Amino acid sequence: MTIVTQPAVAPPAVNKGDVLDPVYRQIRDLVYKVSGIYKAEDKLYLLADGCGRRMKQLGARTPRDYWDQLTAQPSRDGELRQLLNEITIGETCLFRSQPQLDALRKVILPEIVGEKVKQTTKRLRIWSAGCSTGEESYTLAMNMLEEKDRLLQGWTVEILATDLNDRSVETAKAGIYGDYAVRNTTEYYKRKYFVTIDDKKLQVRPEVKKLITFSRLNLQDDSKMLFMKGMDLIFCCNVLIYFDGVSKSKVINHFFSNLNFGGYFFLGTSESLMKLNEQFHLVHFPGTIAYWKPSLKSGKL
Amino acid sequence: MTASLTVNIRERVQQIETMPAIPAVFVPLLKLLSGSAEDAKVDDVVRLVSYDNTVAAQCLRVAASPLFGMAQPPKSIKSAVISLGLRRVETILLTCCMGQAFPATKWVLDPAVFWKHSLGCALVCRKFSEKLAAADQEKAYMAGLLHDIGFMVNCLVFPKEFAAAMERACRDEIPLGEAEHTTMGFTHCETGQALAEKWMLSDDVIDVIAHHHAVEQSQKAQPLVALVHLSDLLCRMRGLGYGYYERHKVDLVSDPAWAILLQQHRDLDGVDLVRFTFELDEAVEEIQALVATVFGSTPARS
Repeated sequence: MTIVTQPAVAPPAVNKGDVLDPVYRQIRDLVYKVSGIYKAEDKLYLLADGCGRRMKQLGARTPRDYWDQLTAQPSRDGELRQLLNEITIGETCLFRSQPQLDALRKVILPEIVGEKVKQTTKRLRIWSAGCSTGEESYTLAMNMLEEKDRLLQGWTVEILATDLNDRSVETAKAGIYGDYAVRNTTEYYKRKYFVTIDDKKLQVRPEVKKLITFSRLNLQDDSKMLFMKGMDLIFCCNVLIYFDGVSKSKVINHFFSNLNFGGYFFLGTSESLMKLNEQFHLVHFPGTIAYWKPSLKSGKL
Repeated sequence: MTASLTVNIRERVQQIETMPAIPAVFVPLLKLLSGSAEDAKVDDVVRLVSYDNTVAAQCLRVAASPLFGMAQPPKSIKSAVISLGLRRVETILLTCCMGQAFPATKWVLDPAVFWKHSLGCALVCRKFSEKLAAADQEKAYMAGLLHDIGFMVNCLVFPKEFAAAMERACRDEIPLGEAEHTTMGFTHCETGQALAEKWMLSDDVIDVIAHHHAVEQSQKAQPLVALVHLSDLLCRMRGLGYGYYERHKVDLVSDPAWAILLQQHRDLDGVDLVRFTFELDEAVEEIQALVATVFGSTPARS
């Protein structure tokens, strides 16, 4: 799965604070219904901007004209997909969601480590499904390394990072990033886990790479999905939007069965599962949500 | 908690001289709110507000906040009542009264942060009850607004003890109530209850204040207590907490309060919790603005 990682070159047609046509709220609700992606009121201008780019391509004059194209057959499904592409552009970078990382290190890791403490093999398996060009996988690896002398002392951490797109996987393996990708990365992490190359670019150090296995995988390939068992954490951010309802449901069911009991499933910050899987428990952490496969001893399955 | 400690807390709260007086309109206003909508008269509310110019002026400003839905500040309380409806205006007035009772000052718990949480919880309670056909939205708002009033009592009556609890909570990243229990031996629930009794608030609001962290012990208004408990948790998970990180996992649907609320409101099952969460995020900025209007300072987002 490929998500374009560079920002749009053209300046935005719609800016924060602009008064928006009420049709955009209808489009927001439609997008949520179809994809589970919700653009909050303060992010609505981003949706309007994405619609603006599509309208220009299609020659639609007003948001209402565009709404007609989004809702009328035969253009409906194709156009919605195009719009989803537009509104997820540029969302990828290292350290994209600090609340997710805080939840991981402050709440989830202590819980999982506590549950597994009696097991002989101290192994933590993480899957970055739809890893694109590797930003999320490296962020996770660096955060795990930060815990290696504390919570994860004596533990083996394996991160599997998969994507459908060969070129993305190759880019991910190289681990070279420009300013835009590291805009949320603190100096501490830059110094500790990167080396500077070509003046401005940063490359991830080998000790971080060592934790990750990058490979190509199609999430819709059922036979391959059956071999991804034993995960403690699965991250699948801004990927499921590209699937129709039936395939999405199938992929989510795979994720559920691939997770260990007590494991967690994370989506992108504005995504949700809606009612596609009733077995996962929606759980809140400060500033973020996740889906939990209850542990056997919790008695909640 | 021992019986003697309960008596001691009651006595200290009853005797305290520095407890801010509540505006004169507060108690009659609560009486109007706790009755049925038909019993309340527009003129009664307008008359109540005219007692206190500060409250009236604030009320007009707050009515113009996006959270209450008027594009322009109304010219008079009467016109606000006509445009917004009596119950909504009473809610606004109640909010302003609380601002008068506990003005912003330097306390252990930053009042701006406290009010952001209380107003946030009030709004979440109202939004939650909007989704439940049989729930009283304005009563839910009131219960949300007042549920943690015990923290203000602790700031005023037990400042040293409460400072230690606050320090423990921040250091260990645990819920403030838990830290109070460990360091003080009692919590804001007991002190809040003592104040609520002193103010002669209604039984169901007292029940919310006393039991919003122990819903199963509630006896008088269990569904309302459950609603406030869930809204409180949600607020603390979405940047409307007490200004520090709480190491906390919240599974709302598995919480006993959810089952209690579901018994009373079957339509709770249909609430899309994720969307509800995203919608709450949208209200955070507006809540900040409202806190600034009512309580005169802008808190940092926690």
